[in-house]
Amino acid sequence: MSIPEISRRGLMQSTAVLAGAAVLPRWGFAQDAMQGGRLVVAADSEPRNLNPAIVASNGVFYIASKIIEPLAEASFDGPDGLAPRLATSWQGSDDGLSVTFKLREGVTWHDGKPFTSADVAFSAMEVWKSLQNIGRTVLANLETVDTPDELTAVFKFSEPTPLQLIRNALPVVSSVLPRHLYEGTDIAENPANNEPVGTGPFVFAEHRPGEYYRLTRNEAYWGDGEPKLDELIFRVLPDRAGAAAALEAGEIQLAAFSQVPLSDLERISANSELEVVTKGYEALTYQLIVEINHRNEVLKNLKVRQAIAHAIDKTFVVDTVFLGYAAEATGPVPKNAPEFYEPDVTQYPFDVEKAKALLDEAGYPAKDGGARFSIRLLPAPFFSETRAMGDYLKQALAVIGVEAELVSNDAPGHLNAVYKDHDFDLSIGAAVFRGDPAISTTNLVQSGIPDGTFFSNQGGYANPEIDKIIAEALVTVDTQKRIELYDEFQKRVTADLPLINVADWGFTSVVSVDVLNVGNNPRWVVSGWADTEIAA
Amino acid sequence: MKAFVRRFMSSPEGIAGALVLLLLALAAVLAPIILPGDPAAIVGRPLLPPFSDASFPLGTDQLGRDVLTRLVYGAQASLTVGLSSALVAILAGTLVGTVAGLAGGLVDEALMRVVDAFQIVPGFLLALAFVSVAGPSLAVIVLAVGLGAWTGPARLARAEVLSIRERDYVASARVIGMHPAEIAFREVLPNALPPVLSLVSVIVAAAVLIEAALSFLGLGDPNAVTWGGMIAEGRNLLRSAPFLSIIPGLGLVSAVVGIYLFGEGLVEALSIRGRRA
Repeated sequence: MSIPEISRRGLMQSTAVLAGAAVLPRWGFAQDAMQGGRLVVAADSEPRNLNPAIVASNGVFYIASKIIEPLAEASFDGPDGLAPRLATSWQGSDDGLSVTFKLREGVTWHDGKPFTSADVAFSAMEVWKSLQNIGRTVLANLETVDTPDELTAVFKFSEPTPLQLIRNALPVVSSVLPRHLYEGTDIAENPANNEPVGTGPFVFAEHRPGEYYRLTRNEAYWGDGEPKLDELIFRVLPDRAGAAAALEAGEIQLAAFSQVPLSDLERISANSELEVVTKGYEALTYQLIVEINHRNEVLKNLKVRQAIAHAIDKTFVVDTVFLGYAAEATGPVPKNAPEFYEPDVTQYPFDVEKAKALLDEAGYPAKDGGARFSIRLLPAPFFSETRAMGDYLKQALAVIGVEAELVSNDAPGHLNAVYKDHDFDLSIGAAVFRGDPAISTTNLVQSGIPDGTFFSNQGGYANPEIDKIIAEALVTVDTQKRIELYDEFQKRVTADLPLINVADWGFTSVVSVDVLNVGNNPRWVVSGWADTEIAA
Repeated sequence: MKAFVRRFMSSPEGIAGALVLLLLALAAVLAPIILPGDPAAIVGRPLLPPFSDASFPLGTDQLGRDVLTRLVYGAQASLTVGLSSALVAILAGTLVGTVAGLAGGLVDEALMRVVDAFQIVPGFLLALAFVSVAGPSLAVIVLAVGLGAWTGPARLARAEVLSIRERDYVASARVIGMHPAEIAFREVLPNALPPVLSLVSVIVAAAVLIEAALSFLGLGDPNAVTWGGMIAEGRNLLRSAPFLSIIPGLGLVSAVVGIYLFGEGLVEALSIRGRRA
């Protein structure tokens, strides 16, 4: 077994986000590994559709990424931050109108049929571009995919498309489906969406609803000597406290996505059989944001938005709401995306007096025994942290004389209220930074997005100058120029505050010390696990 | 009235319950005076355990809010919801039951089928559905609990009215030409009421528990501090900071036990048991 070189970028990524947390990369050279074995991990939900080519979300990837592979996976030390999977190389044309992928030789689907460029062309045109939540945006200008031979796929675009964006999107967008099972069927309703067939290290064996998913070793996997495990079980454990108990009892060996509550980590880390790992989430940064409805006359005033930003004590949020497992945010791009992160932006340090002064200036003076103005605050119910942030923000606003009424909803109710009916003033939301601002970040600011598009700018904010930068970056092929455009984007967003970024957080895994090679790529929890093994 | 108090005082359960409730009611009413702090204010370091810091006798929660202040304000919310829901349920139930009992015939039949319809759905589910649709606020929760609890008083009131309206004094009132509404309110209702009132304790206790359960499920009023909400917030920290759930839990238990004991005393005092025997 080789000892991977720890790159500077990898180090930066792992230390930047979660300074202070127990960041202990385990490469597994200290222990002897046993060939085979069964790994049992906790799954907190059972996705209705297990097809990552259609639903590119972490809940689906967590299970499906072991069965269905992308063209390339994120990597700490690979060129461009990528490690080849089904593609071995990618080359962009100078005009940005085409990208050529060379595909891996000798790969077969789990049902024995050979994997060819036709599968890639079919997946790209019929699934990623047409059906997938993220592909629909990133591949909007994809016109055709040519297949000159069985191992070459050439993506042709109608507008210049930056190779940097395509590369950054590959791990999320490019899950390849078997054409022979999907062609000519209703793709969204295909039975293979629930019993996936892929090229990955593990073969789907069975799903017992409410109990487990069972995956078995792919004997014909292309990776040399991989996968290491014989069997992989995802045990359905929706209860958060239950996952912690199952770990301590040794019934499961891994719980990911902070399924073990942060408040339990201190106790868990005292257990010598278990380890708290924060690596493996670097490319899955979640962002705690305050979304603002700019249709509200009061919030339309920049001084009011600045006052709200100054009223939030980000240090308190990180230390108390996230118990230290987060980093203070400075803008729309998180620090652990060093390729794009711009530190030189307008900052809003915690300053109650300044916030009050700004509200006075804005024309909302303090009133005796009354509030300057009242707003409705909708905390997203997705995480206990977003709910706690709602309680905190209500208090922080009360301190500067603003009355906030909390409105609680269930998840669909919240999504509809904020993104469809625009029935909110402020909302506490969770956004995801997916490696490139064009994938899921600029759409929180851009105007003209149809009503009802979840996790997009539905606050009625429209800034033609920022829109122009976003549009230009989308067709700028030159990497350096593109990065500069996004630097400008970050400066403008922090100056004009269409939304307020409060904190960036990664998740934690609690893992048995016997499991090796945990967290060795920036999307580890949602990657293939071909090299994951259990110590003898 | 004197007899009522004397009978109540002769019931040890009743006295114990009354004492517990008195204590809770005092805490709830005097909350702003004894603990002037805002229960939602972040005042200290988060997760201080109880009895470790004199300024926070019962500790602080995960955001650094004072648990004692929250406990006392929680009593306010719980008792308000409990009593208001009981009032709504008793008023609505008695009205429907009396009308059904007195009118008889088709009206009775129709009203009782409505009661049946409400009774086949468990009260908690009804409240859950109502709050999900109408949005969580204390007023909605009161209505929701009332919606699930009015059928008991309605049935009881109807049964009482059916028996009372055949009594001689009601017949005499009818003979002397009293207006039916007058008969209903002056002759029938006062005599039908005591057994219905004995349901108060059951309904209040159920209301307090339903409100707590709704809050626990995230359907409580997010702007009010309630015991159920406190338990729900403490749930994720059950193994690291169990006091966050145990303290409001004790509040909840003492309130419900107090209400039941008080109810026992009430039943004795209204001499419902004796009357039927």
